[in-house]
Amino acid sequence: MIGLFFKALNRNRFKTFLIYTSITVAITAIFMITSISRGIIGMYSTMLKTEGDIIVTQAKIADTFFSDVNVSLADKIKTISGVKEVYALILGASPINDLPIAAIYGVSENRFKTYTLTEGAYPKKGEVILGKNINARLHAPKFVSISNKTFSVSGIFENGVGFEDGGAVLNREDASAIFNKEASILLVSMERGHEANTLIENINALSLDIEAKTTHEFVDNYNQFKIIETSSNVISAVAFLMGLLGIASLISITINERRSEFGILRAIGKSSNFIITMVVGETFVITCVGFISALLFSKALLFMIAHIEKFQGYVNGELSLETIISVFCFSLFMALLGALLPAYSASKIDPIILIQRGAL
Amino acid sequence: MILQAGGITHYYKNDLALDNVNFEARRGDFIAIVGESGSGKSTLLSILSSLLRPSHGELFFEGKAYTLIKDIDAFRQKEVGFIFQFHYLIGYLTILENIKLAAINKKSTYIDTLFKQCGIEAIKDKYPDEISGGQRQRAAIVRALVNSPKILFADEPTGNLDSHNSQNIYELFKTLSKSGTTIIIATHDRKVSEYADKIIEVKDGKIL
Repeated sequence: MIGLFFKALNRNRFKTFLIYTSITVAITAIFMITSISRGIIGMYSTMLKTEGDIIVTQAKIADTFFSDVNVSLADKIKTISGVKEVYALILGASPINDLPIAAIYGVSENRFKTYTLTEGAYPKKGEVILGKNINARLHAPKFVSISNKTFSVSGIFENGVGFEDGGAVLNREDASAIFNKEASILLVSMERGHEANTLIENINALSLDIEAKTTHEFVDNYNQFKIIETSSNVISAVAFLMGLLGIASLISITINERRSEFGILRAIGKSSNFIITMVVGETFVITCVGFISALLFSKALLFMIAHIEKFQGYVNGELSLETIISVFCFSLFMALLGALLPAYSASKIDPIILIQRGAL
Repeated sequence: MILQAGGITHYYKNDLALDNVNFEARRGDFIAIVGESGSGKSTLLSILSSLLRPSHGELFFEGKAYTLIKDIDAFRQKEVGFIFQFHYLIGYLTILENIKLAAINKKSTYIDTLFKQCGIEAIKDKYPDEISGGQRQRAAIVRALVNSPKILFADEPTGNLDSHNSQNIYELFKTLSKSGTTIIIATHDRKVSEYADKIIEVKDGKIL
């Protein structure tokens, strides 16, 4: 029976190739859309969660880029029992040299250690450290111009987070002069064994202008992430549905064209179950091959995109096991649906009618 | 009586193809159903062989109604063989694979015997589109005979063959009928009268 699947697929090489291509392209598209959007969210989450159990932002602000927090609160928060460390961060974006836009991080000195230097030293006043990707993009400059101010490059770092490796880090005071704010956010790292909710209550009690949340809660409820996730889900769903409908209809047409073959099989005594098993087997084989190809293509494309200098490492993919499994199940379901409906209807028709409706 | 049909009527949508036909065949009979194209002989053959359900009427195989046969697919595989005018071999399988696909016992030496008997042992590993029309038809005959059916149905089996090959096939049918296989063929080839025990003429869906 298994030999029969491959012989039947080999017989209709062009149609088999078309179905295989449709499956591969549809699944690759869904993988790319979901993994890139999840990659963006993942990169930002990783950045915030590094040494940050609690995030403090300006109250009632939609985006961390617009948030402005009084940095003197950092000292007050540090006095709260259970607080291990408080980091002040300015998150901004600005042209650097000939690059129209790049991420700029102004961080308090105590956070420098989260950036793994590959060469040089952490920045002093008037200095920056560059991420690996932006350093390569700018051809390892000695000086950089950020918002018409010149900074000398004191070191290069690599964190493995696209947003950071594609940006520049300078001390908070220098960033404050550029972006005209004291801090965008404060990240609070907790001592072990303390209750986050109690700490959050104590932090929020310090000022009405701030809002403290766990970084997990912040990431889950961050409006920008919700927008990215929702739009990605909608685009993915539409692309996936269109792709799957294409696969289902292509398989359905191919199976329909084989009605005379099914008629002959019935005429020589093969049961309807035999025909259905044959069709299911063929569809399973082609869907699996298409799926594996799509997975390999997606991995290769994501690798390439992550290494395209132009993107500065900002576009990064994250393909979760959950996505892989669910996409496989949906693809297989739709492909089988497209195959089974015409095969089942053919199994209910008299063999001679099936034979007369088409010639081999 | 191996096969009985009573009051067979069949419509294709609203067109009457068979009108109240009765039919009987005994074990070892060689029956030829003759008639003009469109007379209804192929429809009658399809109904008798269980490949088509009639609009009205009853059919019995060895006294058992077709409608009471639990596994009609197994019945088709085991009890009847069918030869079509256009061989209808599966194009992506070799001749041997086509035969084995239909065979109940795929390792039977009877397959080799049939290949020799039909003179096509040399082409068993070829694909249908690599052999001649006559060879394809003989391959289709081997496929129909592979399970030693009790009844062999053939619809215009010599329609695409030259007179020499036609004669060989009729002689094979005659031999089979003598050994107890019931042969029922639909044809407009008048030469069949030299071999058949009984000729039934169909015209406008009725037996004359």
